Amino acid sequence: MQLPSQQVAVLEAASADEATSVDALAAATDLPPETVTGAVFELEDEGLVAVSERVDETVTLTDEGVEYAGDALPEVRLYEAALEAGADEESTQMGQVIGSSGLEGPQVDIALSNYARKGYGTIDSGEITADPDADPAADAEADALAALADAGETPVDAVDIDSDTVDQLERRGLVDRHESTVREVTLTERAVTELMAGIETSETVGQVTPELLTSGEWDDVEFADYNVEADAERFDGGKVHILRQTAERVKDTLVGMGFQEMDGPHVDADFWINDCLFMPQDHPARTHWDRFALEQPTHIDDLPADLVDRVERAHKEGVGPDGEGYHSPWDEDFARALALRGHTTSLSTRYLSGEEVGDLEPPQRYFSVEKVYRNDTLDPTHLLEFFQIEGWVMAEDLSVRDLMGTFEEFYSQFGIEDIQFKPHYNPYTEPSFELFGTHPTTGELVEIGNSGIFREEMLEPLGVECDVMAWGLALERLLMLMYGFEDIRDIHGTLCDLELLRETEVTY
Amino acid sequence: MPTVDIDPDELRELTGSEEKGDEELKDDLFGLGLEFEGRTEEGAFELEFAPDRLDRLSVEGVARSLRYQYGDARGIHVPSPNSAEWTIEVDDSVPDERPYVTGAVIRDVDLDDEALESLIQLQEKLHATMGRKRAKGAIGIHDLTMLKGTAATEGNPTIQYVGLEPDEDRFVPLDSDAEMTPADVLEDHQTGQTYADLVSEYERYPAIYDDIGLFSFPPVINGRRTEVSTDSRDLFVEMTGTDQWTIDKMLNIVCYALSARGATIEEVNVEYPDHEVVRPDFATKTKTVAHDRIETILGIGLDPEEVIDLAERSGLEADREENDAGDLVYEVTIPPYRVDVLHPLDVIDDLGRAYGFNNLEPRYPDVGTVGGRHERSRLERAAREQLVGLGFEDLLNFHMISEAENYDRLDISPGDDAYGAGEPATIKEPYSEDFTMLRTWVMPSLLMVLERNTHRAYPQNLAEIGFAANVDESENTGVAEGRRVGAVLAHHEAGYEDAKARLQALTRNFGVDLETPPTDHPTFISGRTAAVVIDGEEVGVIGEVHPKVLVEHDLEVPVSAFEFDLEALH
Repeated sequence: MQLPSQQVAVLEAASADEATSVDALAAATDLPPETVTGAVFELEDEGLVAVSERVDETVTLTDEGVEYAGDALPEVRLYEAALEAGADEESTQMGQVIGSSGLEGPQVDIALSNYARKGYGTIDSGEITADPDADPAADAEADALAALADAGETPVDAVDIDSDTVDQLERRGLVDRHESTVREVTLTERAVTELMAGIETSETVGQVTPELLTSGEWDDVEFADYNVEADAERFDGGKVHILRQTAERVKDTLVGMGFQEMDGPHVDADFWINDCLFMPQDHPARTHWDRFALEQPTHIDDLPADLVDRVERAHKEGVGPDGEGYHSPWDEDFARALALRGHTTSLSTRYLSGEEVGDLEPPQRYFSVEKVYRNDTLDPTHLLEFFQIEGWVMAEDLSVRDLMGTFEEFYSQFGIEDIQFKPHYNPYTEPSFELFGTHPTTGELVEIGNSGIFREEMLEPLGVECDVMAWGLALERLLMLMYGFEDIRDIHGTLCDLELLRETEVTY
Repeated sequence: MPTVDIDPDELRELTGSEEKGDEELKDDLFGLGLEFEGRTEEGAFELEFAPDRLDRLSVEGVARSLRYQYGDARGIHVPSPNSAEWTIEVDDSVPDERPYVTGAVIRDVDLDDEALESLIQLQEKLHATMGRKRAKGAIGIHDLTMLKGTAATEGNPTIQYVGLEPDEDRFVPLDSDAEMTPADVLEDHQTGQTYADLVSEYERYPAIYDDIGLFSFPPVINGRRTEVSTDSRDLFVEMTGTDQWTIDKMLNIVCYALSARGATIEEVNVEYPDHEVVRPDFATKTKTVAHDRIETILGIGLDPEEVIDLAERSGLEADREENDAGDLVYEVTIPPYRVDVLHPLDVIDDLGRAYGFNNLEPRYPDVGTVGGRHERSRLERAAREQLVGLGFEDLLNFHMISEAENYDRLDISPGDDAYGAGEPATIKEPYSEDFTMLRTWVMPSLLMVLERNTHRAYPQNLAEIGFAANVDESENTGVAEGRRVGAVLAHHEAGYEDAKARLQALTRNFGVDLETPPTDHPTFISGRTAAVVIDGEEVGVIGEVHPKVLVEHDLEVPVSAFEFDLEALH
């Protein structure tokens, strides 16, 4: 039989006739007690030892107990001072006795409360007497303290102290009682047989080392077992932000659906943000405070002059033989004014116009997942800046059915199957639809986006001669639908809680 | 979104559908695109409306649309107004900024409390929408019996639209007992103060006179003399504005609403110095809509009879025709209260709503394209993956920030010769003082997150690849925008070397050449700061954050950090 060296040592130190405690085995084997305990359990599992357990009570002095063991108990010191002051003959002023006893602070109270109890004398109306027959040398409590001070940590049974005294000392906070489990080991018959047959030592190893590997020794050793169930120390690895993860997943999904990604400026001219979308210049959304106009700088340098003319004409006269324009003023200076884009449709107008990647021939699919800015009221579902999933499909003869089918396909990729379409109005699309989804925890219908088929008044000036269907969806709303978050501010921005980010599960 | 209050009992009465329950009504209204938001204290429905169908801003207009939806009404109804008795004479003195006026006389109107309330609401909602808060068009409604027209010829009374010196004349405005000049009204009257900005720059103020004197100060307030009450039987409606079409359409919507209450409409002559028009203008217009276009937009096949039926159920009329190319088209007639039909597509939207968009079967478009990511976004993703691999928690912060956070708390000033200290692109009317500009670098955001999370476990190794911008006159927009790679290491032993080791690993993975010559930067400790030089170009900064900055952010651990332009990894 082969066993690790610790187990062999324990077997050899133990006896078949007499139970040996773990501490005794540790002393005999020169191994740490915890190693011996581990070995004993292994041996028990092997059927080589029998283990019995008993609970021992031990008593140790507290710091206060140690002090009194050296200096005598406060009541004894008081008695001795009282004798010296002659209180054995007539009652004496207590203040005087205490002064000469040298007792201070809480010790005075301790002395007074134990003095009479233990028959050293009486205390009455500030006068103290001492019983001349009392014998401090026979004080059981003092004796017990002295005995415990000599013995160190001691089984109660090992010191000759009656348990009432121990109780009394414990009440006075002079001793602590502890219970400890003592394991005792006896060899089994099988162990005796195996020992007689001879047990070889196998080595156990804590750490795999380069020496172990290069020497080939790893083949002869046994690896010490770990407690593999215990929790390890916490470690926070890096993780992509949950909203970024969602954005990446959206991008992957759209790329898979044949969409190319757009990129462009956050600060842009109102021309690209609004005028190219056939938004009249006196539309409330353009004059309204929800637009973040720039204070500095104020205007874009260059706009394509031909396009500006075509857009202005569409606003004033409309498009097509039956077309009508808006009865609204149009001013190029306003079109050149800079703002933080309120939607990424400014990217779509730039791409559709040919300004970014040249003229586009149908079919095309484009998307972006980028930030937009709105001066809205901050609340659990509204941020001043948030991500918009912008997308459009350019092809001949697109229908609202194609639009609806694209959304159903997109959202089903995220496990959302209950999209509802509500006919809506936008200045730049016709027909238009708002999209709604159901919040997984609150059950509320949440608006998740806006969509439609771009109007000809928008497309014709941009030089697009086929249909384009488009949408803007809120990435944060999609995240809320997927995770059931109720307050978007916990996630996005400098108010974020690192703990929440660390605890949030990944998405895939 | 704007809302309109509609009394459900009024709606039942006007649609003649007394049996409809509230829930059923709500569903029907949702079908019109009017979403139920709640109830007013008086129990009326608060309905959210999209700002295209402004003819539905009153219970009368909503009832009309419901009657079409129920099939109780079809096609187009145009009221026949009586011939004009009254004239509005436009004087040369009218301010150039507000030259247009229109009007109508309404006879035999039965104004109970509900009807008056509805009229007032319609007026307010039209002001808020088409009227652009009265700037583009303002409505005045008067009790006709209180007006005395100068009889230029017998039986042809006249009122005058004129321009007035601010203190030229006096009248008693609504909600007042005192005679005031227009200038007094702007100064002292509550309504006057609200709308003062509309006219205060005018040299002359718009004013309307009858035989007795000044009775209206558009677009600000009417006089008390002609105030409308439930006792009023005949009304004079006038509208002034900056655009004739706009006020004429607003007038049509008001006339249709009062006509639905049983009133008779009477025309008014409007005499401009150089021409004359008769209002209201109930002329219809037509759009030519191709059958083929209807089918491609809706994605279904339709019989011409079906199209004509859908049009009639939308309150339109469609006549089947052939165009020059021999294609089937419809001449679709649009009623005079519609303001939203600019193009044949708008008619197709109406047909789709009448058909029921929700009855259409979604389909995935059979269009083949190849997808792909923008190079910038691929680079950003690759760099972010490297940072996460190096143990950084990826962050996502706001692009808007305050000057104090962006500069002061990091001990730099706009225009300093230090990385991140570019001139700010500033916002004209910020949401609050915390969001006055676009951040010029991401380091301030990272330090704010550290500041917010001092109670959370360390180490806090945070990174953000994010947007930053600064003024740059060489750009077309005047703003240079870019993505920055920012990282902070915050723990008890964080030091320059930790940051440098990670920056080295990052740049090595992108195959670019990194040098870190010593530099000075106020945010960092002198002697422990270097410029990040990638492929020979200075693109960022690395160092140990200065204790002054740490203490400013309530941090009690050292922080080492770096930031550089993402584009340098390209």
